Amino acid sequence: MNARMTTATRLGFREQARRPLLLVLLVGLPFFFITRAIARTEPMPRLIGLPGGGEVLTTMKDVHGASMVTITVAFLAALCGAFVMRSAQSADRRLVVAGFRPLEAVLPRLFVLAAATGVMLVVSLAVTAMSFSPRSWPAFAVGNLLVGLTYACIGALAGVMLGQLGATYLVLFLAMLGTGILQNPMFGDGTPGGLALAFPDYGAGRIVIDGAFSGSFHAWGDLALALGWLAALGLAVVWVLRRLLRSAS
Amino acid sequence: MSRTVAFAREQLRAPFTLALLIAIPALFVVSAAGVLSEFAGALGGSLAGDASVALSAGWAAAFISGALGFFQAASSRDADRRLALAGLGPVRVAASRIVASVLLSVVAAAAAFAALELRIDVAHPLHAAVAVLAFALLYLAIGVLVGSVIRAPLEGSLLVVFVFLLDAFAGPGMSGSPPAWAVSQKAADILIDAGTGIGSPTGDWVRLAIVTAGALAAAFCVFVAAARSRA
Repeated sequence: MNARMTTATRLGFREQARRPLLLVLLVGLPFFFITRAIARTEPMPRLIGLPGGGEVLTTMKDVHGASMVTITVAFLAALCGAFVMRSAQSADRRLVVAGFRPLEAVLPRLFVLAAATGVMLVVSLAVTAMSFSPRSWPAFAVGNLLVGLTYACIGALAGVMLGQLGATYLVLFLAMLGTGILQNPMFGDGTPGGLALAFPDYGAGRIVIDGAFSGSFHAWGDLALALGWLAALGLAVVWVLRRLLRSAS
Repeated sequence: MSRTVAFAREQLRAPFTLALLIAIPALFVVSAAGVLSEFAGALGGSLAGDASVALSAGWAAAFISGALGFFQAASSRDADRRLALAGLGPVRVAASRIVASVLLSVVAAAAAFAALELRIDVAHPLHAAVAVLAFALLYLAIGVLVGSVIRAPLEGSLLVVFVFLLDAFAGPGMSGSPPAWAVSQKAADILIDAGTGIGSPTGDWVRLAIVTAGALAAAFCVFVAAARSRA
């Protein structure tokens, strides 16, 4: 990272730190929704499918506990992706006019977005730990981080390509459909299939479930799939933003 | 009238916004309806069958209208200040903005209701249509209220989502006894009844009318106050 990227990254973090309401919401929303959702769910028995073909008998309460982190992180990261990138566009154009290369303006924004996703994840995991303990914390955390980064990239693309309203509709709907319904083992036969496989968060979602309900890791294929989706979406974000900034210069 | 149409068109300028405004309520009804009864069961609620499909139409209209109201109020601040300074006045600016938002909300509510009609044979379609529209107008008012106070799109949209989730998951069908602050509970009661073929009591209709009109009046007053302070 050169001096200009360091400066742009520092400015990006400072810009976000000047938004106290955002920080309150990013901490308060996960705390409120995760604790409330777990507390309200009935401990009904629930059979769910694990990566690798196994099954585990657990409770609806625990499945909801595991999936609420994913849903919360996906929603928040997608909205952050949409609006952090949109709000950054005019500032980044000025940076490019001032002599920054487009990539030197784009990468710091991605660092800020990844850091915001990390903060939301840490808060969500800390809140979850009060009422649900996954069998494997590392796999559970990595799966949720991959879900968050994937939706942050989707949000960033939507924010740049659609207007504010269109981006909000699209990212909230996709997060609701993907993490809330299709990948959620609370519904159907407990194993996501069909349309769920076509969603970019499928692999990451399976890692979350593996980490939540299995002591050993079986989701290597899902990990490769999730990393592939994240790499593709990340490259798409960089490409789209660089193109926009180049046209501005 | 031309101002109202111009304000509505302003929101639809971005690509795909109109398509999303229509497609998402319909897709929401199709995708969420099947799982809502399972979800309600997990939360200890009693929502089942056609009632869950009906409620999903109300939620779809609410979610779309809440975001719409927020962006109508928040993203138009600079333009409204100039319009008010140019002699239009905050009341007329507010009236035009809110009427434009209502028109777009009616489109979203119609899409949600059409999806509901296609999905199930609604026993009381007129009751269902009014309840879906009430969901849309209530959340439009909430969105305008938030957008009149908070300008930042991320914070504002998060706040609208927060209110929606808080209200929806505490409301009828999702919990045994909805709290008094669950603003959409009467709309939900009427919609669930319409989906299951039960007529709603007059008291529910009166309370729904009071809550919806009150929410829109509050949104109008806050928008005018915000536009005035800007002018």
